[in-house]
Amino acid sequence: MSIPDYMQCAEDHQTVLVVVQPVGIVPEDEFFRIYKRITSVAQVSIRDSQRNLYIRYRHHYLPENNEWGDFQTHRKVVGLISVTTCGSAKEWPQTSDRFHCQKDVFGATLYDSRLLVFGLQGEIAEQQRTDVAFYPSYDDCPDVEKRVEDFVESIFIVLESKRLDRATDKSGDKIPLLCVPFEKKDFVGLDTDSRHYKKCCQGRMRKHVGDLCLQAGMLQDALVHYHMAVELLRSVNDFLWLGAALEGLCSASVIFHYPGGTAGKASGREPSLARGQGQAADTGKRHRPGALTANGISADTSSEIGRAKNCLGPEDIIEKYKESISYYGKYKNAGVIELEACVKAVRVLAIQKRVMEASEFLQNAVYINLGQLSEEEKIQRYSILSELYHLIGFHRKSAFFKRVAAMQCVAPTIPEPGWRACYKLLLETLPGYSLCLDPKDFSKGSHRGWAAVQVRLLHELVYASRRMGNPGLSVRHLSFLLQTMLDLLSDQEKKEVTQSLENYTSKCPGGMEVLTLPDGLKLPPVPLSKLPIVRSVKLLDLPVSLRPHKQKGLLENNLSSKSPFIYSPIIMHTRGEERTKKIEFRWVQGDVCEVQLMVYNPMPFELRVEHMGLLTSGVEFEALPAALSLPAESGLYPVTLVGVPRTAGNININGYHTSVFGVTSDCLLDGLPSVRTSGCVVEVIPSLPRLQLSTSLPRSAHPLRPSKEELSSSVSVQLFNGETQQLTITLENIGSEDLETLEVTSKTCNTKEKLFGEFLSWDLEEAVSQLPLKPGQSVTLTVNVKVRLDFSGGENLLQDLNDDGISVTGLPISSPLRQVLKPRAETKALGSESSKTDYNHVKTLEAVMTFKYSGGAGKVEGYYRHLSLGVHVDVEPSVFFTRVSTLPATRTRQCHLLLDVFNSTEHELMVSANNNQDLVLHPSECQRPAAGSSRGEPSLYRSMSLVGWRSRWLSSTFTRYPSRTRKPCATPTPNYWRRRGFTPRPP
Amino acid sequence: MAVCIAVIAKENYPLYIRSVPIQNELKFHYTVHTSLDVVEEKISAVGKAMADQRELYLGLLYPTEDYKVYGCVTNSKVKFVIVADSSNTSLRDNEIRSMFRKLHNSFTDVMCNPFYNPGDTIQSKAFDSMVSAMMVQAS
Repeated sequence: MSIPDYMQCAEDHQTVLVVVQPVGIVPEDEFFRIYKRITSVAQVSIRDSQRNLYIRYRHHYLPENNEWGDFQTHRKVVGLISVTTCGSAKEWPQTSDRFHCQKDVFGATLYDSRLLVFGLQGEIAEQQRTDVAFYPSYDDCPDVEKRVEDFVESIFIVLESKRLDRATDKSGDKIPLLCVPFEKKDFVGLDTDSRHYKKCCQGRMRKHVGDLCLQAGMLQDALVHYHMAVELLRSVNDFLWLGAALEGLCSASVIFHYPGGTAGKASGREPSLARGQGQAADTGKRHRPGALTANGISADTSSEIGRAKNCLGPEDIIEKYKESISYYGKYKNAGVIELEACVKAVRVLAIQKRVMEASEFLQNAVYINLGQLSEEEKIQRYSILSELYHLIGFHRKSAFFKRVAAMQCVAPTIPEPGWRACYKLLLETLPGYSLCLDPKDFSKGSHRGWAAVQVRLLHELVYASRRMGNPGLSVRHLSFLLQTMLDLLSDQEKKEVTQSLENYTSKCPGGMEVLTLPDGLKLPPVPLSKLPIVRSVKLLDLPVSLRPHKQKGLLENNLSSKSPFIYSPIIMHTRGEERTKKIEFRWVQGDVCEVQLMVYNPMPFELRVEHMGLLTSGVEFEALPAALSLPAESGLYPVTLVGVPRTAGNININGYHTSVFGVTSDCLLDGLPSVRTSGCVVEVIPSLPRLQLSTSLPRSAHPLRPSKEELSSSVSVQLFNGETQQLTITLENIGSEDLETLEVTSKTCNTKEKLFGEFLSWDLEEAVSQLPLKPGQSVTLTVNVKVRLDFSGGENLLQDLNDDGISVTGLPISSPLRQVLKPRAETKALGSESSKTDYNHVKTLEAVMTFKYSGGAGKVEGYYRHLSLGVHVDVEPSVFFTRVSTLPATRTRQCHLLLDVFNSTEHELMVSANNNQDLVLHPSECQRPAAGSSRGEPSLYRSMSLVGWRSRWLSSTFTRYPSRTRKPCATPTPNYWRRRGFTPRPP
Repeated sequence: MAVCIAVIAKENYPLYIRSVPIQNELKFHYTVHTSLDVVEEKISAVGKAMADQRELYLGLLYPTEDYKVYGCVTNSKVKFVIVADSSNTSLRDNEIRSMFRKLHNSFTDVMCNPFYNPGDTIQSKAFDSMVSAMMVQAS
């Protein structure tokens, strides 16, 4: 007996063994279908008695093991059911012969046998035979179960007769000595008349009767017999049989205490048992010391008390098991018996929840030497150890043995390594190492576990799946390894893992589909969200010029339609929540939208990421993938992913898509709590036209100072006061929608200066007449830039005037303005640099032109876009008044006001004053036009006339003469001339 | 003297594991890992009633062919595991106890470090050197 039956459990002692075998050629699936039906008859209650007979079926049993049948009767094959196919009457004799041959194999021990013949019809099939049943086909055999039951009953009759036979002939005749195969030669030539020998025979027989009683369903009688056998055998030191008697005692007690069985749910007997006795399946799982149950025992309480005395208590059972195993251990050849006893004891202990003791039994079982085991047996042994450890809740130990079994499957000594089995076993070890192949479990926080062991296991999985010829699995496991254990791998390991991953993916690219193993296990996809690691995701607004705006009126309309209430806290609440996720700005259908990711590469080498794109939902989105290459251990690195929404609606940025080392992964932001994001939902509005603006003037380098408004572009120009410049603006429709409306407005920003007349003026009529503007077409708009500023407040000028010896203190032209201007001169950024040496007379004028336009589907929704053009004009003064004097006029109420006008420009300019003829001033020329002024109430009139004059002067036209160059701001001021003792005069 | 010393967190993941460098390190990982089954069982077996006077020292967890595995659990359920060579018969129970005591003291010091995050792997040099002193010197 060399092959242990690891599935044995204590209650198997009460079963009778029936072998079911095919004879001749029987299709395997048909055989097992019949086998299954036969095995459903696992328990038969015998008519006219309260007893049950339990049957254990085997379709394969070593005759060698049968020889131990005297030692423990449940090892003895007592029944044989043969299944055969017989096509015609001609084959019948042959089939019959084969059946008889098979019967001879177990012949010595068989109580009865049956032959089930399928396919035979006709004469032979008609005859009624007890030992042969004929069925026309495998599908047409309704009474198989009935037949088997009859068969079992006939076995019972033989069993019962044997039991009675053995139990009664107590001392009269000579009792034969029962012995196990290896003992036979030991007893040769032994004195058969000695007292010792007789006792030995008696004890062994007693034990045998105990076995028979147990099988025949007489539990209490069995207990009594076992007790007597123990007494007898102990006195003669027959250790092997003493062990067997003790084990029989244990088995009977276990059957008594745990009627649910110790084998667990896997046992095929349980359903029938539950059916037969209406017991809940879990009764056996509870530990109920000394509990008396109605397990086929009569309800007579008085007898129960007597019986319970013979029965061992739960504690004793284990003690006796220990003792029995120690006796078995004395015999090398009883290794299998010892091992099986250990397994049975562990199962009992598992039910009793005495885990520590169970582990001791198992530890012992590990060391039982069964001689040379074949590789297959080793695998079986390790797997069963693993299963038993699992049973007692030692999951780690169980995983350890399972892994050993897996490794055994592919041991180098095996000619054909079972990589498939190895892989399957390895997968089963995963829970023991608290590893789950779903990467979602690892997304929370840092990894905590037995990294070294887990990494090893994953490597083994990878290797096994590769040898299995399934590179897809290898890729999946390797990606899992990379994703979850990245922080725990050394640089060298990282390199190796990625290299092998690249090797595998060259054969089988990794994807995002769920891999399903043949046994139904699903391997979820592993997105490599750590290659590269994404730290933040930020949706970017469109560039200023492309941002859509909503018409105000429509917006209000939209709001009010949401709720009839002006105020409702509920709406406020939901709106607030929306805001946390929804982003303020909008994207436009058909326009390129950008999302910025901050990424870094944790690997010690350059990481190439291909096809990096956005994953979106809600809106049809055309992602434009990017490829990037991140340097080794890079810092945070901005990556902009772009795409074009193709329809309108709310778009949700769910994640991103990458392809690294040939593994494509879809990383969803939901699963990446470490990624910072400011919201991922953006409204995409229907498409709008796009305008491109170009101007005839050069672009401005410096932005406008009041940068409240973001400008799409700006121009700057330098003009003399009073000068007019034409600005041609070309608007080209570069989008795909028709431009339907265009509005132009302007706003002057720098309002501190007093501005006369219109700064910017245009005529929109012509441009509007060209609408709608088809894509690719352009429209031009001419804008007149006219500057008329008040330069009279210049401080230096007034100083000059003061110094002229004429009292000007009373002049209202100076005093109020001086006070206002003085502090400003210091704070002015432009003026501050040159104020020490020279007063800067340049003034700036700024305005923003806004082009509101709309069209296409976006217009229907009430959206528009605007372009804004900043116009920056540096205005230089064109003339200076260097001297003021008065001349009495002919009338007393009037006087002449004489002004020295100096042309500081390099151009000719024309000054026109009230009622005077125009005066042409050449560059750097000074002239004295006389301005008539009324006398009289000096303070009043003068000021009036001066103001009036000034306004006239301001309205003087500056005529620009073409084809000259201008030097900006280099013109000497009157002060400059004065300091050199020079009074500018006309040449 | 020990051949492998491990500190295991309450949640049964290793905070610290160190073995004599000459041998197969992974083997000790397996040994310590499987010993946790026994540790858990012993802790639960003691039960709640005895929680107050429970002894920290768990004794011999299980013997293997080459090694003996000893365990100890603190009140905060942090486990210490010492693997000793079976051939070293001179090692008494008392010595093992004192080793655990030293280990516990040193671990307490580590926990007192304000810069140590409970639950992180132990990287303290002081702890390391103390463990080294308890290990078998590789000859």
